[in-house]
Amino acid sequence: MAANMKAVKLRIKSVQSTMQITKAMQLVAASKLRKAKEKADNSKPYLGTLLDTLRDLAGGNHDFQSPYTKVGKNDKWLYVVIAGDRGLAGGYNSNLFKFMESETKGRDIEVLPIGKKSVEYFKHRNVPIFTEEFSEVAKVTISDCFSVARLLCDAYKEEKFGHIFLCYTDFVSMMSQVPKASPILPLSDLKDPDGEVKKNKSLILYEPDSETVFNTVVPEYLAGVLYSSINISVASELAARRTAMEAATDNAEEMIETLSLYYNRARQASITQEITEIVAGAEEP
Amino acid sequence: MATYHLQVVSLDGMEYEGEVEKIMLRTVDGDVEILARHTNYCTGIGMGTAHITMADGKESKAACIGGMLSVMDGVVRVLPTTWEWDNEIDVERAKAAKAKAEERLKDTQLTKEARVRAEAKLYRALVRIGTAQK
Repeated sequence: MAANMKAVKLRIKSVQSTMQITKAMQLVAASKLRKAKEKADNSKPYLGTLLDTLRDLAGGNHDFQSPYTKVGKNDKWLYVVIAGDRGLAGGYNSNLFKFMESETKGRDIEVLPIGKKSVEYFKHRNVPIFTEEFSEVAKVTISDCFSVARLLCDAYKEEKFGHIFLCYTDFVSMMSQVPKASPILPLSDLKDPDGEVKKNKSLILYEPDSETVFNTVVPEYLAGVLYSSINISVASELAARRTAMEAATDNAEEMIETLSLYYNRARQASITQEITEIVAGAEEP
Repeated sequence: MATYHLQVVSLDGMEYEGEVEKIMLRTVDGDVEILARHTNYCTGIGMGTAHITMADGKESKAACIGGMLSVMDGVVRVLPTTWEWDNEIDVERAKAAKAKAEERLKDTQLTKEARVRAEAKLYRALVRIGTAQK
């Protein structure tokens, strides 16, 4: 009995220390989340307006002069996959990868992973990797986004890929984050939310000409899309981690409760037994 | 004067939304001024000072760098990479950046890419200083 009690006590201690860690992680994620959400919210209107505008332009473009508006001849797909640097974030990373798998089935793909987990995953699966330069999502700055955008533009112009997609986790609410893939190049892949490609009949005046406009605007558009998607993904990661750690803390609390109940019962039983033994010994003479 | 709806959205969020008389800014092709009832139009934004005349005739200035300008069926959207109102500009910081960039450009051994980057930094700093002081 005594040995059993000791084991339970140790178990309680170990669960308690785990709970301390999960609780701390939950608090850290919650406080970081507030900042990240603000950043993500700030960049959302830019992303929305930019996509709207480009959809209008791509729909209205009939003269297909820029390489970015044409569908590429190459049947290879490049996916930019934004995942987290660390685990312990519930299903954040695995949901994204599962989604990627169903999304890319039967396609000839290459990936540009952003985030350590993303690099690890695709290396493990032997998926060809375009560049590993941007492995840490926490360290990606706006100027890094511009370098990625330039890389993508060059690769697309050289016809290394026919389509470029961006895969990230959308922040729907504090409780729900959904993996998403959105086309970024060519511009003719951009579709309305209802799936229709807009056909715009009105003429648009380009200055100096459509090719120059597209060639200067597209790299900036890519950088903007990347930057805001990264912000949204980071907010999603933190929200997922907070929820996961909250659940872990709750579970640990429950375990401690059950274990302490068991411990107290065992303690009482051992005391009762001792008393019975003493009384029995005293009555003997 | 007739007014129209202008949206200025940068990566830091919605910078301005409302009725304006006109906006003047520097595009890749030179200065452009958009008045009401402009035809559908699209161009890339260069580096320069943007002047907005609000519906009540008041003028505002901002440093406006990169991105695009589009006019679509009467809606004017300015999507700059950076947009800073003149009262938000940190002149001291811009001056420091200018001095640093000039220092770097003195180096004749600079690679082409580094030179382009330093030049871009210098231009950005000059635009900021110009916007804040005019």
